[in-house]
Amino acid sequence: MKAIQSIANGFVLFLSLFASSSLFAAEQAGLDAEIEELKAEVIELNRELFDLEEQLLYPATTSFAVFVSMDAVPDFEIQSVKLNLDEQDVTSHIYRAEQVEALRRGGIQKIYVGNLKPGLHKLKAEIMGKDRDGRPVKRLVVAEFGKARASKYLEVKISSNPNQNKPDFAIVEWK
Amino acid sequence: MRWFIWLLLLAPATYGADLLPDERRSIARDPIYGQALYSLHSGEYDKALGLNYQLRKNGRKGYGKILDIHEATAQLGLGMSQHAQKQYKKLLTDTRVSFLPASARAQAWFYMAKHFYNKGLWASALSAIRKVNGSQLSAELKDEYHFLATTLELFKGKPQKADQHILAINPESKWAVYAYMNLAVSYTERDVHISKVEAIFNRALLLTSNTEKAEALADKINLMAGQFFYATGRGRSAIKHLKSVSLDGAYTPKALLTYGWALTEQWQYHDALQPWYMLKTSHSPLNQDVQETLIAIPHLLEKLNAKVMALGAFDYATAQFDDIYLQLGESAKRLNSGEFIEPLMKQQVPDRWGAFETVDLSLPHHPDQVYLKEVMSQGYFQGELTNLRDLHVMRNQLQRALEDLTALDETADLRKQEYLQVKQEEQVSKHKSHLSTLQTRYKKLLTRINKAFKDPDGSGLASEPEKEQLESFTQVTKQIKNVAKLSSQNIQSYKDRLRRVEGVLKWTLSERYSERKQQVSQSLALLEEKIRQAKKQYNATEYAYTVSPKSFNGFKNKIEALRQTYQKQLVKLDKVYYQQREKVGSIVKVDIKKRQERVMDYQMQARLAAARLFDETSNKQRLVAGEVRQ
Repeated sequence: MKAIQSIANGFVLFLSLFASSSLFAAEQAGLDAEIEELKAEVIELNRELFDLEEQLLYPATTSFAVFVSMDAVPDFEIQSVKLNLDEQDVTSHIYRAEQVEALRRGGIQKIYVGNLKPGLHKLKAEIMGKDRDGRPVKRLVVAEFGKARASKYLEVKISSNPNQNKPDFAIVEWK
Repeated sequence: MRWFIWLLLLAPATYGADLLPDERRSIARDPIYGQALYSLHSGEYDKALGLNYQLRKNGRKGYGKILDIHEATAQLGLGMSQHAQKQYKKLLTDTRVSFLPASARAQAWFYMAKHFYNKGLWASALSAIRKVNGSQLSAELKDEYHFLATTLELFKGKPQKADQHILAINPESKWAVYAYMNLAVSYTERDVHISKVEAIFNRALLLTSNTEKAEALADKINLMAGQFFYATGRGRSAIKHLKSVSLDGAYTPKALLTYGWALTEQWQYHDALQPWYMLKTSHSPLNQDVQETLIAIPHLLEKLNAKVMALGAFDYATAQFDDIYLQLGESAKRLNSGEFIEPLMKQQVPDRWGAFETVDLSLPHHPDQVYLKEVMSQGYFQGELTNLRDLHVMRNQLQRALEDLTALDETADLRKQEYLQVKQEEQVSKHKSHLSTLQTRYKKLLTRINKAFKDPDGSGLASEPEKEQLESFTQVTKQIKNVAKLSSQNIQSYKDRLRRVEGVLKWTLSERYSERKQQVSQSLALLEEKIRQAKKQYNATEYAYTVSPKSFNGFKNKIEALRQTYQKQLVKLDKVYYQQREKVGSIVKVDIKKRQERVMDYQMQARLAAARLFDETSNKQRLVAGEVRQ
């Protein structure tokens, strides 16, 4: 009986709370909609600024970018990538669990963007991670490439090798 | 019912990270699509949405409706649920089969249901979840789908349908625990036999080992079970569950309080004091469970006939309630002066916002730290505070963007200056004339050198007297020959002397030849190096001239237009930010007032009880004294 009483009280309390909160919610719905609208506008504005920034700071004649991609490789879990361009460290990234998952699900990460003059260049990528048994894996891939007066995109690619129990690491050029 | 709602609200926060099923890149090496996918799966929803807009601008490139699903997902992630809802509705109301693949349709209905569920619109969520074709969902979403369906069917009072879904959940999945928890709660409301309720709670407890935060979840289940059994008068069962709650978790205060009450109901007054003292000494008096304990302890002491101790405890409670009332008043004042919300906003991580990004509530060394933790247990307040945090982060982004625009403007100016410098100063012609001067000098020098070093005997390098001497040698040779013809005199000695003199001079000249040639070669090499440098500089200048970047062109106007839009946006956002702050503030104010009223109520009870007790003990003393006198 006590339980029924308690549940009934709870239900009445819930109904009264629900009634008052729905009134309040109706009043505030306008503000919520306004906040959502603002979010959409700010995102679009930020995108415009980002585009403008890229166009101004990295003109098409000199722009150079490096991407990272990874297949759903079962034998390797990426932990970090360090890039060295013409004997200078330019960037590094440590991956969070959800970023590793994002790469596995087909995402491409733009890890570096900069300006590069025409000529011959050398890119080194140091990839660190863990294998299936949790042992540390470290790989260094090097690419020598030429840059003309046009944008240049390189991709650090980690793909599965069906013939071996370890993945392939490579730097590929986008043409 | 209240527990049921509590559970439903707690569950969504745990599964927000994973929004989309696996999907490989369909168009190889499309950097924008790939980046959008990366941002979406790694939780950077604002970036994902921005890239999604860009893909749409570029004409979708054959991605079709998947971009709409991505957009809706990112919008959900950013807390733009109304936009997401519109997007899903738009997708789902189109009945053309070819328009949306079956898997995408199932997925869209699923997210739609999830959205309604998170918003507390359970009837709509139920109708959406019933439209999901479970066989079309990816494996990792299936358990979550069955969990949602179980919970919603239970809410609607359809236990048979709920049972079908619950049995379809993989027992090793975390969703099985949540489903059994909700089933247990629904049993408590449906007058199911107590043994069945107990069995379901135990089953949920068993399954917690498969979850990430097993201990916290087990605490929650034990507390719920304990509260249920206590409310239904089954003290022993309640005690068994409440004793299992850990002593340093989020549910400790409530568990200790209920544990004490359950023991009291079992007439174990001495034992009941222990958890209550523990609660009182190890938690802040601002905690409402502690406040209840403050008034419960003296009542229990009274029951134990320790009336003097009870009187002291009532006095202590009265003083504590005074203090708590004052502290709550101070919090309200700080709220009005912005000393509460503003520091809280300032400590938020920049650029981290959205529905799944938790608000940092630590507020170290702040007097409202404990209160904030308490008030945050209300789901509605969490949503409003998250909105305020999002507005705060956006405001910072806009301000930073304005600074960036100034920097970009300066960069464009710099580019223009560089360009004009290259063009106006006629660097190319300067370098060209310098180069031609050097080349002429080189040619002249080379002619002179060729002339000087033509004869390897060094005669080209002879001085004037030496040249005269060389000529005189020829004259003397002729004269010697004439002398030989005219007389029989021996001329050999003259010839020898002349050869010696000539030899000395030619030796000097040949020595000088190699020495000078070395010097000249060095000078020539230096000059050649200078010419090479000048040529390089000329080439570089000519290259710079032809490729000189005109990337500043048009940027000034773009920057200015964007700056004005940003400024307008900032004004608009500021207005909404203050409205939202007011809203959060009013919720806190109402909450503080309610807490103060409750504290006042406790205090009144404590004072009345103290007065009654005082009277009782005084009368008793008078009676005892009277008896002694008689």
